[in-house]
Amino acid sequence: MNLFGNAVPWRSIAKEALERTAIVTRFLCLLHVTNTYICTPTLVYGPSMLPTLNLTGDVLLAERVSHRLGKVRPGDVVLVRSPVDPRKSLTKRVVAMGGDKVTFVVDPRNSDRVRTITVPRGHVWIQGDNIYASRDSRQFGAVPYGLVEGKILCRCILMCIVASIVCIKRTPCSPMQVWPLDGFGLLHH
Amino acid sequence: MLPTLNLTGDVLLAERVSHRLGKVRPGDVVLVRSPVDPRKSLTKRVVAMGGDKVTFVVDPRNSDRVRTITVPRGHVWIQGDNIYASRDSRQFGAVPYGLVEGKILCRCILMCIVASIVCIKRTPCSPMQVWPLDGFGLLHH
Repeated sequence: MNLFGNAVPWRSIAKEALERTAIVTRFLCLLHVTNTYICTPTLVYGPSMLPTLNLTGDVLLAERVSHRLGKVRPGDVVLVRSPVDPRKSLTKRVVAMGGDKVTFVVDPRNSDRVRTITVPRGHVWIQGDNIYASRDSRQFGAVPYGLVEGKILCRCILMCIVASIVCIKRTPCSPMQVWPLDGFGLLHH
Repeated sequence: MLPTLNLTGDVLLAERVSHRLGKVRPGDVVLVRSPVDPRKSLTKRVVAMGGDKVTFVVDPRNSDRVRTITVPRGHVWIQGDNIYASRDSRQFGAVPYGLVEGKILCRCILMCIVASIVCIKRTPCSPMQVWPLDGFGLLHH
């Protein structure tokens, strides 16, 4: 008896499997293109952007169009590839663009000494909002503009609630007092 | 990048997988976003990775002075093959690894012929002697 006869319709099963795989592949391609070129959600954590961002984790929406058009301005919170460890991304605020002079407190925990530097052309000066616990341009210098990967648009509050439920056991990475969050979720001004 | 690459234009194939896996090594020709002008991309050779010491001639046209520098962690040191006429890490310092955009695989000779026919009126950008090209088109070793 022929097992591959009328008993099991292999051809239509294979065809349907192929069609469904094609749909999934198309969806993944669309997701990849959207994440790389339009906007993407990112999870950020750490004390360096208190009180703006949460210590234990925040889901932010980062858009990836503005930095290609050169529309990054001082005051924007940006997603930046770390110049010290290329596998990590940082979320910091742009304080000055290339050509501007920036004045900053070198080590606010220990002294009040300030320093003024001119940001080189083609670079940006990034600082965390919480200067007491932030590794930023004050330590590793101005960052080339080519390392900017996106601009933070807003916070996804619903996703933050989900993330806080999931990550409820994660301990803060440094002994800092947690500031109250703002309720609106809009960071970009 | 003389004599490796042509003065008047070359079409190269750059692959964008290796740098994401961290497989960029000294000796590779890489495509790098310029740290001085973020709208431009440069094609230079990686001479040293983060942590290595690099010795280079600071200004070969005017003097023989050499300098030795340790490349910071997470950075690469890039130099053009033609050190007499190249703006590279000797001028703007070590480049963060995140600016590397791809690794050059090979030269597309057919496309180069098309490009040279199309651009036949373009004058060279600096008075340099043109070196003969190698015929194989393989740059990556």
